Amino acid sequence: MSAETPTPRGPLAPAAPSRDPREIVREETFMRRRVLDVLADGPHTVPEIAEALGRPAHEAMFWVMGLRRYGWITETPGGAPDGYFRYQAVEREVRR
Amino acid sequence: MTTYDALVVGSGIAGMESALKLGDMGYKVLLVEKEASVGGRMILLSKVFPTLDCASCISTPKMAASIHHPNVTAMTYAEVDGIERLDGGRFKAKVRQKPRFVDEAACTGCQQCELACTVAVPDQFNYDLVARRAAYIAFPQAVPKKAVIERQGTSPCSYTCPAGIKAHGYVSLIRSGEYEKAFQLVLEATPLVGTLGRACYAPCEGECTRGSLEGSLPIRRLKRFAADTHYASESGPHVEVPPTNGKRVAVVGSGPAGLTAAWQLARRGYAVKIFEAAPVAGGFLRIALPAYRLPAEVVEQDIANVTAIGVEIATNARVTDVETLRKDGYDAVLLATGTPRSTPLGVPGEKLEGVYGGLDFLRAVRLAGTAAAADNPLADRHGKRVVVVGGCNVAMDAARTAVRLGATETTIAYRRGREEMPAHTAEVEDAERDGVRFSFLVAPVEVIGDTAGRVTDLRCRRMALGKPDASGRRRPEPIAGSDFTIPCDAVVAAVGMAAKGAVYGGGVAANENGTLAADKQTLQTNVPWVFAAGDATTGASDITRAVGQGRRAAHMIDRWLNGMPLADFELDSLLEVVDKNKVTSRQSAYARHGIHGGVVEGPAPAAALTFDEIEAPLTEEQARNSAGDCLDCGVCSECQECVKACPSDAIHLDMKEHVEEVEVGAVVVATGYKLFTADAKPEYGFGRYKNVITGTQMDRLLAPTRPFNTVLRPGDGKVPERIAYVMCTGSRDETVGNPLCSRFCCMYSIKQNQLVMGALPLAEVTVHYMDMRAAGKRYDEFYESAKAMGATYVKGRIARITEKPDGNLILRYEDIEHGGSIEEAEYDMVVLAVGVQPNRDAEKLFGIAADGEGPRSPAGAGLEFDEYHYVAEVDEDLSPGKTSIPGVFVAGTASGAKDIADSIVHAGAAVAQVAAHLEAAKKEAVA
Repeated sequence: MSAETPTPRGPLAPAAPSRDPREIVREETFMRRRVLDVLADGPHTVPEIAEALGRPAHEAMFWVMGLRRYGWITETPGGAPDGYFRYQAVEREVRR
Repeated sequence: MTTYDALVVGSGIAGMESALKLGDMGYKVLLVEKEASVGGRMILLSKVFPTLDCASCISTPKMAASIHHPNVTAMTYAEVDGIERLDGGRFKAKVRQKPRFVDEAACTGCQQCELACTVAVPDQFNYDLVARRAAYIAFPQAVPKKAVIERQGTSPCSYTCPAGIKAHGYVSLIRSGEYEKAFQLVLEATPLVGTLGRACYAPCEGECTRGSLEGSLPIRRLKRFAADTHYASESGPHVEVPPTNGKRVAVVGSGPAGLTAAWQLARRGYAVKIFEAAPVAGGFLRIALPAYRLPAEVVEQDIANVTAIGVEIATNARVTDVETLRKDGYDAVLLATGTPRSTPLGVPGEKLEGVYGGLDFLRAVRLAGTAAAADNPLADRHGKRVVVVGGCNVAMDAARTAVRLGATETTIAYRRGREEMPAHTAEVEDAERDGVRFSFLVAPVEVIGDTAGRVTDLRCRRMALGKPDASGRRRPEPIAGSDFTIPCDAVVAAVGMAAKGAVYGGGVAANENGTLAADKQTLQTNVPWVFAAGDATTGASDITRAVGQGRRAAHMIDRWLNGMPLADFELDSLLEVVDKNKVTSRQSAYARHGIHGGVVEGPAPAAALTFDEIEAPLTEEQARNSAGDCLDCGVCSECQECVKACPSDAIHLDMKEHVEEVEVGAVVVATGYKLFTADAKPEYGFGRYKNVITGTQMDRLLAPTRPFNTVLRPGDGKVPERIAYVMCTGSRDETVGNPLCSRFCCMYSIKQNQLVMGALPLAEVTVHYMDMRAAGKRYDEFYESAKAMGATYVKGRIARITEKPDGNLILRYEDIEHGGSIEEAEYDMVVLAVGVQPNRDAEKLFGIAADGEGPRSPAGAGLEFDEYHYVAEVDEDLSPGKTSIPGVFVAGTASGAKDIADSIVHAGAAVAQVAAHLEAAKKEAVA
């Protein structure tokens, strides 16, 4: 909450157990190998990657999109017929 | 002082428009932007309403013009720290240019630094939807398209390392799986990677910010991991060495200082030879530190790094006259001979058989090899009861060595208390774990022997602590009549170590305590071509400080041999250390994956104690998990990957900020607005429910440079089918202190409605609103067009949003137009149409009065703000843009919410007034 915004009134909904986004983002380079290991057997959706990692899907979303941004993974052609895109590793020579 | 006609603060659309129009009129303008690119928020939009023109297509020509206009000087990544109104009506402004750590002239915007960077942080230009890197280009259309390295200071671990090792850097590289690069980064400072990975006292861990949470990272052991990984497959350092420069340097002593200096010099092309008096190279590393802490093969692997790049090491080669070295053709000499002498106890009986100096004892054991009977200094001692006198690290090493040699009873006698012991806490604890006993506040008085001249007892006197002495520790004072004896078979005197004094000839001076006299900064002795480093000049310290001294000495010798000045040379250009409180306040919660720094698995039972290495290595999983816990305190880790990747050599991590004072005739405040922070409406769940996003985030998802491959739910990557908009989030809402309408939320939401339906043809879009404000040319038509495309508009406030286990969201709302019933609807995704707030940074420009009555400039003329904290326009109806200070004008949303078109018009009005003001001032000056 910014300094400009006063404390809201009324009861707050209980906060869901959640990690700080900065921490999740910071882990992208650390999680890279694990995500790529998951994708080693073929393309997967974000929920599938998350399940394989044993981490929440919204955390996997940060890592998948970060790795996509920097060229480690890409979505498969063909769109998202069931509502989810599938992501695959991009061939790279550098260490994971 | 540089002068301009006008200063424009902020380069959003209003700031750019102001600067360009003034420039077109012929005025000289300074445009200051705090971000790394001009363009403000507009460049981050997908399209603009109601024309659906591409925001980038409209913005980028103005952005380019802003930095190329002949009359406009644009300073990006700079901030105005204060403006003072001068007598005569002109202004003096302080402009602080923040260091980019990138040479703008050389940077080509190729992004190689960003691709190589090992630190991920939330991307503020994508409203935290995705990561960027610490080395980054603000966004693809950035102007200037130049990289920035985000550095918030030097990380505490790196800052505190006396060896100059970039600890944060190698931790970051290990986190990224770049183990060899981590090894190479440590090699930049010293060849002793494996040694320091085991025997460093790890001041980095003592300063680790994570230490204030649940324990520091195991930074030292991560270094060991990098070394072990390297040595498992490589036998040399794998570094490139330049061709020889024809100059020769002699290094006397092969301890950590000598080896490090030789390494650094050889990497600069010098022919280096090390002269070592002992039969093996390594100094204390090889002959004093016990093998269970530092195995000989590890030291040998590290020394092999040095010899692999051409350094010659001569053992059993004692140097007694540096003049001989000079005559042999050496251009410079470094004395790094350490403190090889044990300080005597200074009590009767010290010459008895069974009394050892601490270093002599350890040296005998290391050179003899193991506890084999023939080599065992304690082999002929009855009962093998050992008393070690002293409280330093050598005392701990001696005691633990005695235990391993078979001593049945080992006692450390120390004249002060535990708190005053100079030994590192971890080493004291390790000694206790080995079964060593401690007797505090006890000083030796006499060593007692039998008729055969062998030690039988140590007579001691009890002490009490008095006032602090020069060292800051409380002085031990003897208690009369308290003498007692400790039966023993051996006494090890670990009460100090001393340098050898002026024994190297050539007139090299020494201090009274035997250390060599050398300048603390340049390490040069009274003989210009002789330098001295390490314990030989500082007195007994530790390996890491000695490494730092050796590194410094090499740089100084290099400078001296090349005729460069030694004074004021800055070896490590460090930023100020990061405030740990600021680091920990970046996050609301912390999780831990790896292990803590000080953890050593499983104390071994005394019976099993050997000279085998005690500490277990980290597994790869442990190493990477532990490195993953790093908080990136300074943001940039200084891993140097960007420096290596840059094809233009544009990255300079030694850049400093500089402050420039300018004089201007007028000021345009174009500082824009801030977005409402949506988590201030907790009933909407922003920040807790992952599929509740803001309108600005949705604009990024719709932009060509979007963070995802299309519009997706941040919660799980699903393509949303049902999307709801919640209007007036933070606007027209007294509960959050903002009764004002934000003016453009309705229109940007309508724009997004159309764009979403274009991007996701199957998606249903529903807007929950109180009233739609689509006043303006083509605005209402735009609204009707969205309806015609299929968007649904439901009048009524949202009471609450709840989340289902599948991430879908239930909106509870009042349906005013259908009888006012309370309804619930389920959506895949919710977009909060957040409003705007004033950017109160504008208040800092002219200072704030001490009387608390509001902002005032130092000259007394106040820049007034309205009751909502926007810059006040004192004659809004007739003179828009005019503020309370003559010569200061406001443009765009700094004075209140406006859409892009209105901001441009407002900027035009402000510019006209600036021109009038400047012309009037000219006439007044002529008159």
